Amino acid sequence: MDTSLIRARSRLYRNIREFFDSRGYLEVETPCLAASLIPEPTIKNFSTLYQSEYLGSREMYLVPSPEVFIKRLIARGCGNVYEICKCFRNAEQIGSLHNPEFSMLEYYTMDFDEKDSIALTQELLRETALPGCPDGLKQPFEVISMAQALNKATGLELEAIQSPKVIRQKAHELGVLDDPSVSEGWDDTFNRLFLNFVEPSLRTDVPVVLTGYPAQIECLAQNDGIVKRRWELYFGAVEIANCYLEETSPERVRESMRREFARMASERALTGEVIPDNDPEYWRIFRSFPRCSGVALGLDRLLMLQTGRQRIDDLILFGFSDIL
Amino acid sequence: MIKAGQIDKGTALLIKGQPFICIDREFVNPGKGSAFVRLKLKSPTTGQVLAETMKSQDNAEDITVTDEDFQYQYNDGEYFHFMNTETFEDVPVPMSSFPDYQFIMKEGETFRCTVYNEEILDIQVPSKVVYLVAEAEEAIKGDTVTGATKFVTTETGLRVRVPIFIKQGEKIRVNTETKEYLERVNN
Repeated sequence: MDTSLIRARSRLYRNIREFFDSRGYLEVETPCLAASLIPEPTIKNFSTLYQSEYLGSREMYLVPSPEVFIKRLIARGCGNVYEICKCFRNAEQIGSLHNPEFSMLEYYTMDFDEKDSIALTQELLRETALPGCPDGLKQPFEVISMAQALNKATGLELEAIQSPKVIRQKAHELGVLDDPSVSEGWDDTFNRLFLNFVEPSLRTDVPVVLTGYPAQIECLAQNDGIVKRRWELYFGAVEIANCYLEETSPERVRESMRREFARMASERALTGEVIPDNDPEYWRIFRSFPRCSGVALGLDRLLMLQTGRQRIDDLILFGFSDIL
Repeated sequence: MIKAGQIDKGTALLIKGQPFICIDREFVNPGKGSAFVRLKLKSPTTGQVLAETMKSQDNAEDITVTDEDFQYQYNDGEYFHFMNTETFEDVPVPMSSFPDYQFIMKEGETFRCTVYNEEILDIQVPSKVVYLVAEAEEAIKGDTVTGATKFVTTETGLRVRVPIFIKQGEKIRVNTETKEYLERVNN
């Protein structure tokens, strides 16, 4: 381990805290252990057991992101907040861009829309840059909608491939799905197109923001017709941040959580994977939830890009492959 | 059949009837999406390289390969020539399929090779190999700014950055993957 990299992380975190503190954001610290999570079928979870001689035992989960707690704080009116914390995703493949335990920065800004959150994130990258950070990372973001990027890369219209049958046929014609009659979710087929064509077509010399993710990829961002008001930030083909214009309708949150929990439970019942408890009352906090935008940014990846490294292992002390 | 998620560097696959070896694998999880795997596959016989991104749960056709010993004879600028140590048959392997191996493999040495249909798909080079220093630069006195290193060339033509005390005719151990100097080897 190169000690300059340990110092780089410490310096980056200081810069981030200065950035948000000077803008009046409140730094918060939420638990790593939760009794229930927001169901996300594509994120596998770590579970552990709370054991008490008197209270009995209870399954607990390591948070895959601090969202579940931060949203409670926002509902209580805490205003603009940020958190730097550890997150845990099980079965996360160990590779140059993944470690099952990783560091995340989340920041939520009241009354912000996509344009505002993109501008803030652009300032964040520029103002927190470490000495020696590649110039490209400090450049203005190129903003492109997913529909435009898809069309540029494949010639397909997002609107025309909304049915699972049609998108599978198109993916088959483009050579990324062998059997178009296979039963797979629309989101999986879309990701075949996205990873094979769209992602490789993105510019790598400047940060790129993809806006308007398909609404059929479920998440707690607001809907806008066939897309979600969600954006993702890429640099050098590496995904660094994800942002939602947060869903504020209690009914839609309840519906989404119910659907996602059902999907997760049915998929995992077959594999025996951990099914984290769902809090059936969680949606109630959205009765007093302000309009806001929330960004989650992978700190190990940002640090990797800022220091010009190729693997997040280089930046993580005692990475998973070392401790297994 | 194996799952795409099980494919690792070195896994041999049959794609449209042609054998390929996985030379690079990276997992990707698109935001809010299932696990995918990005593969770089190479056909050792044609040198063709394919980039494929598959869902980790997709099936792939793996092939049964055998490991056999071959003696590396020489290269003719286009092909490495290996000799099957049992049949003494000459097996050519395109040099372009293994770009830097000409600087790593010593003539006359035996290598364990991955074989499919009598063709060599992969050459297993030990991760650490001892080389003779064929040429060594004179160290520049007082040059400690660069961490007191210099370049030497091994008998196979590999250029390695080494500490300044390494002299011509000495032996050094080198990491064949990173091409980095590991230690001096005493006779």
